[in-house]
Amino acid sequence: MDSELLADAIIDGSRPERARRVKIIRPPSFSPLKLLGNFALLAQYKDLLMTLSAHRVKVRYKQSALGIFWAILQPLSLMLIYTVIFSLVAKVSSEGTPYAVFSYTALLPWTYFSTCVTNSTGGLVSHSALVTKVYFPREILPLSYVFAALFDFLVASSVLAGLFFYYSVHLTVNALYAVPIILVLTLFATSVALVLSATQVRFRDIGVAVPLLLQIWMFVSPVVYPLSSVPAQWRTLYLLNPMAGVIENFRRTILLGQSPDFFSLGISTAIAVVLLPISYIYFKHVEATVADII
Amino acid sequence: MQQASDDDGSRNPLMRKLQSLRRRKSDFWAVHDVSFEVKRGEALGIIGHNGAGKSTILKLLSNITTPTSGEIMINGRLSALIEVGSGFHPELTGRENIYLNGSILGMTRRHIAERLDSIVEFAGIKQFLDTPVKRYSSGMYVRLGFSIAAHLDPDILLLDEVLAVGDAAFQDKCLQRIAEMRDAGITIVFISHDLGAVERLCDRVLLMQKGEIVASGGAREIVQQYQSIAATFKSAASSPNAQLANQEKKAEVRGLTFHDPAGQETAVVHTGDPFTARLEFYSHAHLEDVVFELFFYSADGEQQCQFTTEISGERINLVPGRGLLEFDGPGLGLLPGMYYTDVVIKERSTPKFYDWTQYNFTALRVDPGLMVRGKFYLPHAWHLMQDNASLDGMSHEPVVDEVASSIRS
Repeated sequence: MDSELLADAIIDGSRPERARRVKIIRPPSFSPLKLLGNFALLAQYKDLLMTLSAHRVKVRYKQSALGIFWAILQPLSLMLIYTVIFSLVAKVSSEGTPYAVFSYTALLPWTYFSTCVTNSTGGLVSHSALVTKVYFPREILPLSYVFAALFDFLVASSVLAGLFFYYSVHLTVNALYAVPIILVLTLFATSVALVLSATQVRFRDIGVAVPLLLQIWMFVSPVVYPLSSVPAQWRTLYLLNPMAGVIENFRRTILLGQSPDFFSLGISTAIAVVLLPISYIYFKHVEATVADII
Repeated sequence: MQQASDDDGSRNPLMRKLQSLRRRKSDFWAVHDVSFEVKRGEALGIIGHNGAGKSTILKLLSNITTPTSGEIMINGRLSALIEVGSGFHPELTGRENIYLNGSILGMTRRHIAERLDSIVEFAGIKQFLDTPVKRYSSGMYVRLGFSIAAHLDPDILLLDEVLAVGDAAFQDKCLQRIAEMRDAGITIVFISHDLGAVERLCDRVLLMQKGEIVASGGAREIVQQYQSIAATFKSAASSPNAQLANQEKKAEVRGLTFHDPAGQETAVVHTGDPFTARLEFYSHAHLEDVVFELFFYSADGEQQCQFTTEISGERINLVPGRGLLEFDGPGLGLLPGMYYTDVVIKERSTPKFYDWTQYNFTALRVDPGLMVRGKFYLPHAWHLMQDNASLDGMSHEPVVDEVASSIRS
């Protein structure tokens, strides 16, 4: 008896009694309380989100000769192509700034967005082995791609600094607006990533459609041309594309040093803020059955 | 066989498509009306055929998939290990994978950092910690995967077939570690085809069949019940055709026994062991050009392999009276689990069966022996050749003998 008690004491010593939480699993249903619970769970897994995001960056550039420079090369090469086409071949207005820096300033947030969307769309499907074997909040997979793309965005921003120096563009205090603008962009990109990655599980068509969609999307956003060249009567409709407000204002505040156009930025912000909870609820709805149909 | 497929009209591919479409309409319940309780510190085993719903239960418990109806109540932190090393990334080093895999399993970075040394030591990969895991041997891979999971520190641990890989010594170490965790008060739910391990580890066992619990009780008792159910198994996949089978009972199968290398009759064989299947038969007449066939089916009725006299050796002519036929296998290829046998005596290249045991003959239990990854064990030898070294230096003929005997002890 005594030895048993002793053994118990040793075990208790090595495994201090934690507060046990009772968890109840029920068939999927929607309730605001459950949604909050999801956030709490996500917070518990924040280390996984960080590890996975870092892992995305590491893996992408492991065993590649250029490594991290790929993050720069992508927007840079697009910038060179567009500069040749739209400033030498076709004359497109660049609002009085050199076309190279004009287009690169827009390509920076655009590449961030398109990298997010492209990579996260397959986020769930490409991890089917993991998704069917381990539980963790599934939104971590698309989110990790968003964070990895954000990292690429920061790396590619260094080139922008170089271009600004070369063309002697001076930043004004308005450049600080870039931070909330990028935040809006991140929220919007996250919504799109959540919706597309969840839908891709059932309809693999999404993965095929995304590159095409992004190509069209870029040309209906003010990346290679300024917002001012969009006919005035179409402009409000045009601004319903959240990327339009984001890109235009990013360029305005950083390159032109002006204060943002709060009308267009407001539309983008409103859409992003409304879309995010809806897409999260949709994602969690799909998550319940994802392991069965993936 | 051909006749059977004619009966349900599935020869026409279009018809088959139509049938499969129609079939999909009826819902399939992977588990239904299942209710059980596991007490704190208890080790519960779940056994049953493939497709009985064991893994679905673990997936429900671990929240990988959600139930259609019903309720699951979990008191405490739960960790599930459904596949060792799932989530490893081949390009990353062992160290990076420990952090990645650990956080996938729900550990915090700090928690992992604290246990890093212990994880590495348990896995025995110290000098390869900074090597990408794609260069790891499969054994190292599994060791590292299990080692991470063994350091999870949950209140409840779910394990699904995690010991189906790795060498025998490491398996033993794993089982010991699980037993330690159980003794430290961690509740364990264990799924395995390795009935020996289930007996050794579990206090209580559930036997599942077609998504329902058919029995529950003490480990030894339920494992025995499972083995006896296995012995009277009838395949649902292929409906036996009595007419075809007993057309002419000019010869009949009287018995089938399995023997170990020493010649002892046994009901349990270990993967990789040489073994003998001894078939007793009785012939009622002079029969020309007879073929004997022995089939192995997995628990879910899938044909695994066949021994036959049809493809090698001489013609067999039978004289009236008793007879014995032995099939010798150099190393059993089947992985751990329960298998069913089926014996056919027939005339060569005809569907004319003298006797057919119709899927319900002697059951064979295969326990872990030589451990390999994949679908089956293939007996193999190896030879090493290097420059500057004597070419006749190293080789290893049949792994079977020495290794297998050292494993058992």
